[in-house]
Order: sequence, then C-alpha cells, then structure tokens
Amino acid sequence: MSARVDVKLVNLTIDGNPVRVPEGTLLVEAAKAVTTDIPVYCYHPKLGPAGLCRICLVDIEKAPKLQIACNTTVTEGMVVHTYGEKVDAGRKAVMEFLLLNHPLDCPICDKGGECDLQDYSMAYGASASRLADPKSSKPKAIDLGPTIVLDDERCIVCQRCSRFDEIITNERSLVVKDRGQRDVIATASGEPYRSNFSGNVTELCPVGALTSKTYRFKSRPWDNARTHTTCTQCSVGCALNVDERYGAITRTMSDEDDAVSDGWLCDRGRYNIAFYGDARRITTPMLRTPTGEFVQIGWDDAIERWAKHLRDAVASDGADSIAAIGGGRLLNEEILVLAQTMRALGVTHLDWRAGRQRQASPGAYGGTYVDLETADLVVAIGRPPSQTAPVLDLRIRKAVRNGARYVTVGSHPSDSFVVSSHLARVSDLAAHVESATRVAFVWDGIDAAVGAQAAELAESLAARGTHVSTFVASEQSNARGAEALGMSPQNGSADSDGIFAAARAGKLRVLSLLGVNPMLHHPLGASAIRDAIERTDFVVCTELFLTETAKLAHLVLPARAAFEKSGHVYDLAGDVLAVNAGHTAPEGTLADADMLVALAAELDVTIAAPDSLHAQASAAIVATATAFGDPKFARASDATSETIGSKGDARNGVRIAIAANIFSGGGSVYFDERLAALRPSPTATFARETAATLGVHAGDLVDLVAGERTLVGLVAIITDTAPSGVVTVIDGLPDAPANEFADGETVALANVRSAERALTAGAV
Amino acid sequence: MQSVIGGVVALAKGFATTLQFAFQKKPTVSYPNVKIQHAPRFHGLHELRRYDDGKERCIGCELCSIACPANAITVIGAENTPEDRRSPGERFAARYEIDELRCIFCGLCEEACPTDAIVLTPRFEMADYRRSSFIYSKDRLLVPQDAGKGTAPDERPNGIPSDLGSVIEQKSTVDIMAGYGATHRGEILKTERKGLAG
Ligand code: SF4
Ligand code: SF4
Ligand code: SF4
Ligand code: SF4
Ligand code: FES
Repeated sequence: MSARVDVKLVNLTIDGNPVRVPEGTLLVEAAKAVTTDIPVYCYHPKLGPAGLCRICLVDIEKAPKLQIACNTTVTEGMVVHTYGEKVDAGRKAVMEFLLLNHPLDCPICDKGGECDLQDYSMAYGASASRLADPKSSKPKAIDLGPTIVLDDERCIVCQRCSRFDEIITNERSLVVKDRGQRDVIATASGEPYRSNFSGNVTELCPVGALTSKTYRFKSRPWDNARTHTTCTQCSVGCALNVDERYGAITRTMSDEDDAVSDGWLCDRGRYNIAFYGDARRITTPMLRTPTGEFVQIGWDDAIERWAKHLRDAVASDGADSIAAIGGGRLLNEEILVLAQTMRALGVTHLDWRAGRQRQASPGAYGGTYVDLETADLVVAIGRPPSQTAPVLDLRIRKAVRNGARYVTVGSHPSDSFVVSSHLARVSDLAAHVESATRVAFVWDGIDAAVGAQAAELAESLAARGTHVSTFVASEQSNARGAEALGMSPQNGSADSDGIFAAARAGKLRVLSLLGVNPMLHHPLGASAIRDAIERTDFVVCTELFLTETAKLAHLVLPARAAFEKSGHVYDLAGDVLAVNAGHTAPEGTLADADMLVALAAELDVTIAAPDSLHAQASAAIVATATAFGDPKFARASDATSETIGSKGDARNGVRIAIAANIFSGGGSVYFDERLAALRPSPTATFARETAATLGVHAGDLVDLVAGERTLVGLVAIITDTAPSGVVTVIDGLPDAPANEFADGETVALANVRSAERALTAGAV
Repeated sequence: MQSVIGGVVALAKGFATTLQFAFQKKPTVSYPNVKIQHAPRFHGLHELRRYDDGKERCIGCELCSIACPANAITVIGAENTPEDRRSPGERFAARYEIDELRCIFCGLCEEACPTDAIVLTPRFEMADYRRSSFIYSKDRLLVPQDAGKGTAPDERPNGIPSDLGSVIEQKSTVDIMAGYGATHRGEILKTERKGLAG
C-alpha cells in the first residue's frame, strides 16, 4: 500500500466520449467521468457489485446482449452506450419485473420523494401495468429490532442491507431468508436486529422497505430543511445532515465524507435527537435560594451574579480560589473564550477532564483515518472503540477486511466483530508487532501508564522503520480541542482531581462547570464530587437538563446543544470540522460562547474578537500537542492496569472493569424519550467460569460492594468473550453510577438473588 | 341650433337605453333568500371524505400540500395503531389544516389526492370576523362520522349540495353539462372510476 504500483490505464468510449481509467475499474464508475447517469439499485460504491437487480444494463458493442455496468470491468477499446432504444427497452423490462408485486405505496412510503425505484420508474418504467391478477401481498411493518421496521412488500431484494451487515460491519446478522417469492430480510438467528450501525441500512435501502422507527411518517423528504454539520456525540466527528421541520429535528442523515466518517453514522449520532425538543430542557437561568429551591432569574441578573462572585473571589482570596472545568463537549470558539476569560482574571485552575478520560492528543505519531484503514496491525488499548467512537471501529473493520490483524489489550470484553486476539497487557504485544509494517494504536486516553507503555512501543517501532500511527478515541467530542486550546492545567496548576480536592478542603470560592457532569462521570465518585460542590461558595453549571451535577449547583444556565450553535471542533485525527446550527434553539437558551462573551464584558476583561477565534483555534492545536500517554496526566489513585485481566481470585472477589456503552450517559441520551429501547440497563457481565465459581446464573440480580460503596441491582450476563476473574459494568448510567469505583479495583459480590426469587420478591 | 338638436337626440337615446333595462329581467337575485345554481365544477370550501366503513380516506400523504400553489395546506402524518385505526393502511393525517384565506380554490389538491379524500364542495359561505377562523382543521373539514361519507366531485347532482337552500334554475345559452362532458376530465370520468380503493 505504501509503495505505489504503476496502474495501467485503459482507453474506452462511453456514449462517444473517450475515457481513460485505471485497469480493473468497473464500468459504472468509469461512466461517472463523463457524467452519464447509470441507474443502480444493488450496486453501491462502498459495498461493491452484486449483480442482483439488473437495472444498470448498458449496451457494449460486440457483446450479443445487454451487460450490467456494475459488474463489468473496463477493457481496452470497449465501446459503450448507456442510453438508446435497446438499453431503454432492457431497463423497461427490468423495471416491469421489479414492480410486478411492488405495492402502490408511494404516497405513504417514507422513501417516496427520494426513492430510486420511484425515480427510475418515471425514467424507464412503463406507465401501465400488464398484470391482470392481483399483486401478491406480504407482511408490512415487520419489527426487525429496536430501531428498524421492514415492509416486506416493498423490498426488491437488492441485498444492500445484508451486504452492509456482512461487508462493512462484519456483524453478519441480516440475511435473505427463503428464496423466490417468499424471500424476506431477517436476522439469521431470528433474534431482533441489534447493531450500533443499524440506521445506515435505512439509508442504503434504495426503496422504502427499511424505515427508522424514530422517523416513520414524521415528514416527507421535501418538507425537511437540511443543514450540513458535524456530529458531536463522540470524538470521530462524522459528517451529518440535520433535517428540521416546523422547528423540530425529524431525522439526521449521513453525508459523503471519505476523510472522516467514510459515509456512515452510528446509531448514537443518528438517533439521539429527540432530546432537542424535550420539555425537560432548562430555558431560564436558575438560582438556588438559601432554602435550597431554584428560582428563575433573568439573563442579565445571572451573568452579573456570576461576574460578581468571580470578582469578589479574586479580591478576597485571589485567583487561586477560582476554577473552571469544561470544554470536552464545547466548540473550539467556546473553549477559547472560556480559557481567555478565566486567564484574564488570573485563574489557572482550568481543566477539561470531567470523566475518566485523561488525555486526548495522539502526540507526534497522530494518524489520519486513512492511516488506520491501511494499517496491517491495529491495536486497541482500553475501552473498545466500538463503544466510545463507533464509526472509528468501522475503519478498523475496514482495515481487517483489507487483511489487517486486530488485537485488543486490556480488561474489556470487546464487542468488535473482527478481533483476532485479546491480550491482557501491552507487553504481550511483542510477538504481534514483529511482522507488522504499518501499526495503528487506538487508545482510550484513560490510563496514562498504559498509554505510556504503548507510546514507548510505538517509538521503538518507528525507530525500526515501521509506520506507526496513534489515535485517542473517546466519547468526548472535543477533548482534543479543549486540551489544545488552554483548558488544560499548565505549570503546576491543578487538574480536575486537584480542583475537587481543593474544593473539599474549602479552598475554592467559585467553580464553573461548563457542559460537564462530574457527579456521574468523574472517577473520584459521586460522594466526593457532592462534597466538593457543597463546600464551594458558588458553583455555576451550564447545562441542557437538570443533571445530577446541575441539581447541586448554585446557578444553572440554560445552554444550547450542538445543532443549535455554529463553530468548529477538532476530530480525533486533528481535522478542524465545521458545526452549523440546524435547529432553532429553545427561547431563553444561550450558547456557552455567548454567555462567556457576556461574562467577559461584565468583568471588563479583553478577549479576542469572535471572528478571529477560528483562526486562533486552528493555529493552537499544532502548538500545544502533548505526547501520547504522557505520564504527567496519570492519576495517582489509578489501579495499574498491569494487574487487570490477570486471573483474579474469584473466591475473594472480582476485579471490576468499567466499560463504555454508546447509549450510556446522563444528558442527551437519558433525556431522549425515543431512545428508551436502546439505553443499556445496569448489568454485570461475567465470563462463564468466573460466574460458575461465584455461583451466579444469567439473569440473577447482584450487588457489588467495595467498602462503603455499592452498586445495587445489576442483572448478571454471562458470555464467553469476557476476561475471567472480571466483572464488567457499564459506566455513566444514572440509575447505577459506576464512577464510585476505580477501573480494575477488587470488589466483592453480595446479595445474589436468582432471577425467579427476584421476580417473586418484586411481586410481593 | 344644430348642436342643440344633436344634444337633445343624444339625451333621448340615453334615456331610452336606461328605460329599456327597466323592463328587462333582473340578472341579480335577492341573495341570501334566493340562490343561483353553480357551474358543476364550482370550487368552494373543502371537505375530507370517508369510506363506507367510516374510516378516513385521507392517508396523510401530503401530496395535496405539495401540489397546492398557494401553500395553504398543512399535513402532519402519524402511524395508525391497531387500537386506534383512523384510515386503511399505516398512515393517517394527525393534523390537517387548510388556510381558506390563502386558498385560491384551484382544485389542485383534489387533483393530487390519491384517495379522493380532499374535495372542493360548492359551499362558499365562509364569512367570519377573525382571520384565524379561516384556518379549517379536521374538526371542520372531515365529514362527521354520522353524516355519511361526503360527496365525490363526480357524484354531485348538478353540483348542488343539499345545504344550499332554495335554488332557482339559471337560464343559459350554453349547455354546461354538455360542455363539461367534453372536457378531458369529463371524458375520463365517463369511462373509469378513479381512486385506489372504495
Ligand atoms: S430491505 Fe431494502 S436494502 Fe434490503 S434487500 Fe430489500 S430493498 Fe434491498
Ligand atoms: S461515531 Fe461518533 S461522530 Fe460518528 S455518528 Fe457516531 S457519535 Fe457521531
Ligand atoms: S384549492 Fe388550490 S389553493 Fe386551495 S388548497 Fe387546494 S390546491 Fe391549494
Ligand atoms: S387529502 Fe389526499 S393528498 Fe392530501 S394528505 Fe390526505 S390523502 Fe394525501
Ligand atoms: S446495480 Fe447492477 S445489477 Fe444491480
């Protein structure tokens, strides 16, 4: 791949135009050069040819019959006609065949208006049907799984959906069941179709056979006002189109984007939209009265109070009594205004770390998405990227499709469908990297000690001439921007651990929390964070909803969500991506940037002009990249991962692994009424032999205990993929917050209730 | 002198013309006591029809709304549930509104409708005091459950709905029904029935 082979070019004529393309090009792709439009159903550039639908017929001179353009490779001297009487007659016959039993559903079909079958029927089809008998009828509205509904009558069996599930995700659950007249799209196992990428099949389906539950009958395609923007639900930053109708987001669609998303979206990015219009959103600033209730106040009053507390704190106790945490979910421009305002006051206690992630920069070997897909060895360290940065995982699966090996390291059972080996420690990698020429390291940015080991390995590989690329994949959209743009501790100022410690010691007067929910995510644990907030004079929180943290704050400011503001973010590969407002924000809310500009004006401090921020942000990332696995960012209290994954002694307890899930969290997902079926419930996952030793059965309710701290009522799951001696729980669930526990610490199992007993107890 | 005579003649002619009209039949009628017959294709207030079994014909497809040149129609669809089935098939109109002040009564909505759900009746008496009362929603457009299924455009006898009161026959030099039959739509209606169901 690195060595460029000289490609032979082939000359051919398409509709009278000379075309020169590399050998092996498919005719359908070659024709794009002369902009002739060849209709396709089953062919898709990312899925390749299948030759199932026959609509792409073209006339090739010297060939006795019409040929399909999607599965014919170009040859020297080929003369091709993509239109004409012969071609039209062929396509008309194909259309008649496809429409034979296709229902006349266009008026009520979600695809109607953007449907290939409809369009080509207009272009090539006959105007009247010759079918004398009634059409065959098949089931409609079949529930395929939590996200997708199938209309069997509409399916033309192009197999794009099942091929997506086989080629792109490698999950292989969707298949064509039965043959001929009875064929139907279903899962091979008969189980509901569950995938973190399920929404993509609704876009791939050229007809309206697969529809999204969240979008069914919400609007017709022509109603939607479309805005192109970037998804900010994780650090990947997929290109995304937001469709809005009557002030409500109806759906999101992917966009062509070979550089970042490869044209895909994960279900979190696609379906997490209902919270924008949720009635529980905060729409006025709220001040806590001495008696503990919130009262609504005006914006001017709110900003004045925030400024007054900051000024008073500087005057009485100095800037060291002020701290701010935030940035991981803000836009570049907002991060800059925040950092500049705070630094202008002399505040140095600034950090973006509000959860477990400690680092966001991939350091000197930071790679691009293309580096990842062309690697021949991909190493994922820590949390599997399939749950933290899902579309990145599709790149890894692409690399595997291209022949790469995929090795995961750490205590987390990986749900990626392409893992070739799972190792406990970075040091076990030695044998695997021997033969590799292009190695990609994907780290979750959490355990700096492990990151440092990987960095060391990367360094030694690079010294040997191996191509190395590094990535930090996490669920925080712009941690990389926050780290680069001044929301990181500098010169010995406190990080978030230090800030909360200072708060608990009563040394903090004002704490500003911008778009963060440490009560649920910070590894110090909810009780420590609560203590810290309660001991601070004035805590300001900008939020969309009254989260666990916002409920404790003294001043809550209603913020805007990603589709309601414009600016830029960094993706994990360091590209600057534009975020555009595609949704009308609820009245009374303000973007964090606007609040901060107002605050700076009230404080009378000078910050950069808003229109220069973008340029400043783009320059800053180059200047301040930190190293991959910088030990400076290790947490003193972290259990070293060397021990995680080694066999624990199950009789005395198990090691707890705290896993990510793309649908966990206390904000946008928790307040999304349409995501109820996708949100994980609190579970404890055991390996088979570990469960046997502990006497746990699938479905049992268990509690986990470490000293005073407990996690109550987890449903036991038993799998073969989990490491032994480890119990895996899901992070970031408001109903069972796991942040009281350190990843890898030993916990005891308590109070195991069998499923039946739990049921009876519930009934009493 | 000549000019005086000319003036008197002109005056006489003028009065004569006026006098003539006094003995002619009046073209106006004393509305609202007397109402005249409409042309069969007169376009007035809309109506949303039902099927024989009482289900709504409208499937919430929004084709009327996109066809409307005045942008007067708003449709928001929703999914039928087995417990609450409003229309045959999966989709029905959860909201259906026509702004009759924007409407130019062109009938394109009726043309676009795949189920013959929205039709224009010859009713025209919509006067009201507030602009907002001209936004007709389903409560006023949909034929009430106990009031039949609504009139198909081709089923109106002489285009006269029953609620128009006393109607006098209007003499005309043109046979309007013959003229209607000669139109393209008239031809089609003679030979086949339109619609997906019913
Ligand atoms: S459901 Fe859609 S994508 Fe899948 S085979 Fe049928 S038509 Fe093709
Ligand atoms: S992978 Fe990340 S950026 Fe892409 S759609 Fe999913 S949440 Fe959004
Ligand atoms: S009659 Fe014409 S203007 Fe009036 S609602 Fe129908 S399409 Fe619109
Ligand atoms: S009235 Fe007819 S065209 Fe309009 S939404 Fe209903 S079914 Fe569709
Ligand atoms: S697109 Fe060529 S056979 Fe389907």
